[in-house]
Amino acid sequence: MSAATAYQRDSLEADDLRAVLPHRPPFLLLDRVTHVEWDSHAVGIRNVGVTEPWFAGHFPDSFVYPGVLLIESLAQLAGVVLSRRAAGKGARGAYLAAVRSFKFTHVVRPGDQLILEARAGATLDGITDFTVGARVGNRVVATGRIAIAETEAEK
Amino acid sequence: MQTLITPEADPVRIRDVAGRRHQLVDRVKHLLVDRLDTVVEAGMIADDEPLFGRGLELDSIDTLELVVAVQEEFGVEVTDDNVEALLSVSHLTDHIAARLEAQA
Repeated sequence: MSAATAYQRDSLEADDLRAVLPHRPPFLLLDRVTHVEWDSHAVGIRNVGVTEPWFAGHFPDSFVYPGVLLIESLAQLAGVVLSRRAAGKGARGAYLAAVRSFKFTHVVRPGDQLILEARAGATLDGITDFTVGARVGNRVVATGRIAIAETEAEK
Repeated sequence: MQTLITPEADPVRIRDVAGRRHQLVDRVKHLLVDRLDTVVEAGMIADDEPLFGRGLELDSIDTLELVVAVQEEFGVEVTDDNVEALLSVSHLTDHIAARLEAQA
């Protein structure tokens, strides 16, 4: 699927995500976007699998999904929200610029399905504030805020 | 007949307006201290001190945080169309006061 086609849709499969995000496995940390309102809001899912490489070391005696990767999943979802606008402006990309007031309230383990949500807030000078959260079922496992910076268009 | 003393020139009212502005300036300064790690003490911030560059030296991420804080605290938006509101505490206070008055 081309990016232009993806931007017409309100949900994206993993294959479609490759058209709107530069990330690739094993670092495409988003399996599906179940709903996107471009420039504003998205909900996505990520199925945590025991075969993921980080579980070899995190931890040898007990599998715990790393909190920093949860932030990355949410940042990628925020990146999806901004991707259409960024592409329209010819931006070279969008990068994680700030991580604020994160809380990890429950441990995430292999077999958990993360429901991820990212909501855009204020934008100033190409940087957008996002309120983000993740849950497994009805249990909230992480909440926080991140900022995503769109880089300048290629000269 | 032309009135010589307009309500705006009433000393009590002037004191009242000045007092309210002073309170608003104070709230803006405390917001800077509470929400941004870089700013140490509200009493050390001059009303006309530049927020970026020389002055408080806020960077673009601090500035976005300030915009989010202003929205949460006062329900007032600052966007790329009115960034001049972010030149100093004084400018920001004027912007907030004008928006609050428009809402009232």
